[in-house]
Amino acid sequence: MRRPFPFIPFILGAGLAFYLLSRLGHALIPFILSSALAYVTHPFINYCEVKGLRRAFSVTLFYLIALAAVSVAANNLLQMASAELSFLQEQSPAYLATIKGIVSAAKQFIAQNVPFASSIIERWDIQLYEPLMRQAENIPGYLLGIFPLLSFLFLIPLITYFMLIDGPKAVRHMIQACPARHVERILHILSEIDASLGNYLRGLLIASMAVAIASFIGLSLMGLSQALAISLLAGLGNFVPYLGPAMGAAIGGLAAIFQFNSFAAGLKVAALFAGIRLADDLLLEPFIAKRSVKLHPLAFLLSLMAGGELFGFIGLVFAVPAACVIKELGKVLWAWYATETRLAAPEPHPAVEVPYV
Amino acid sequence: MLKNLRKLLYDPTLQAKKDFLRSLELFKDLKDRELAELAQALHCRVYRQGEVLFQEGDIGRALFILESGSVELSRRRPDGAGQPLYKLKPGEFFGEMALLEQLPRAATAQAAEDSRLYLLYLSKLESLIQEHPRLGIQVMTHLAQLLSARLRRATIGATASHASS
Repeated sequence: MRRPFPFIPFILGAGLAFYLLSRLGHALIPFILSSALAYVTHPFINYCEVKGLRRAFSVTLFYLIALAAVSVAANNLLQMASAELSFLQEQSPAYLATIKGIVSAAKQFIAQNVPFASSIIERWDIQLYEPLMRQAENIPGYLLGIFPLLSFLFLIPLITYFMLIDGPKAVRHMIQACPARHVERILHILSEIDASLGNYLRGLLIASMAVAIASFIGLSLMGLSQALAISLLAGLGNFVPYLGPAMGAAIGGLAAIFQFNSFAAGLKVAALFAGIRLADDLLLEPFIAKRSVKLHPLAFLLSLMAGGELFGFIGLVFAVPAACVIKELGKVLWAWYATETRLAAPEPHPAVEVPYV
Repeated sequence: MLKNLRKLLYDPTLQAKKDFLRSLELFKDLKDRELAELAQALHCRVYRQGEVLFQEGDIGRALFILESGSVELSRRRPDGAGQPLYKLKPGEFFGEMALLEQLPRAATAQAAEDSRLYLLYLSKLESLIQEHPRLGIQVMTHLAQLLSARLRRATIGATASHASS
């Protein structure tokens, strides 16, 4: 018999989750980020465990390796990147002035040569261009919003450590506490969520690293001085779909125009990032297909607005990945409901009538 | 000294789990590393005597492997009473159809005494198959052989009962 969809518990649960998220939002951020980090690092821990090592030793070994890697990066790469980033930040007013100059020249040209264009440009100026420029001037201020994340730099590894050490133990206790008849069902949902989220988060990390490395190689070959900082920004930005390559193309393009005094250099950088985006779609996604969570444009907008409203700048950065995670969870729960209620009952095999010989 | 260090670094429970899995017909041809991967994918639970693991008609989601204790399989008769089918001993497994298709269970499983079981889910097995295709081929071949043997037995039984009637 088909059971009706449990709308009331579902709505109550979603409402409670939303209420808790809005009340405890900022306190939950390090835990959410730590869970994501635990998912990403899990394959390494699993590899060590398969080799027979104890979990506590595997986690400690991972932390020692990560600490060494971070120390090397902090000594070399991060110093270079921060110097390049400071340079970019200093140059941002000049970049904006250039954009304004190009736009006003284009406006003047259009107003002189196209009839009725001046009134359209005037309206465009008031409604779109001026607000956009005001926002662009605030970009360094928005970047300061990342600073609260720095306070998590010590907290997140600590929480992740305990999650990695005690996570399986907590799951074992939960399975044991769960009523016997529901164990199979609940573990099924957990297994599906685990597989789906793990694939998504690890795929996202691989793609972001690939974007950062590819753009660093491309920009270095072009001879751009801020190659490291721009490729790091592009890689980090890639956590939000399309943002990484778009950001790389915009900032890298402007930096190239300034450095080489040539508009063609800016176009080359834009073409490089378009190529990286295309290569990500065509070459990388087939291998990490589970990452390709497609969001409807409306869901994309709603997630950005809700993220910004609830958590400020950090919310804007993590809104889209969070929406993708929620969509993955929804898909898993729906697939479970569909089989449980026989909505998606499998058809009998076509050869079932043939006798067994 | 080296022995103590080994004891400190290596997990003895994994070896015990691997030895147990190797003793099962379904996993007997797997390599050591594949057994370790499989052991990592299993969930373990202790069922107290009388606890119902699943009921006839529930959607099957996992393969159950009995490590210790015993589990009784039974089916509902038309009058509603339970008809015992089989009592599983340690080292036997059941519910393997869930690894092929998610359909209602054909029987009820209940712990006849305190029992320790491992559960293997289709999603975990799928991940293992993708990462270690040889493991998948071995498990699926043994599963197909098992189903074939059961079907052959059922066909012979049905033919014999048809002939006698």
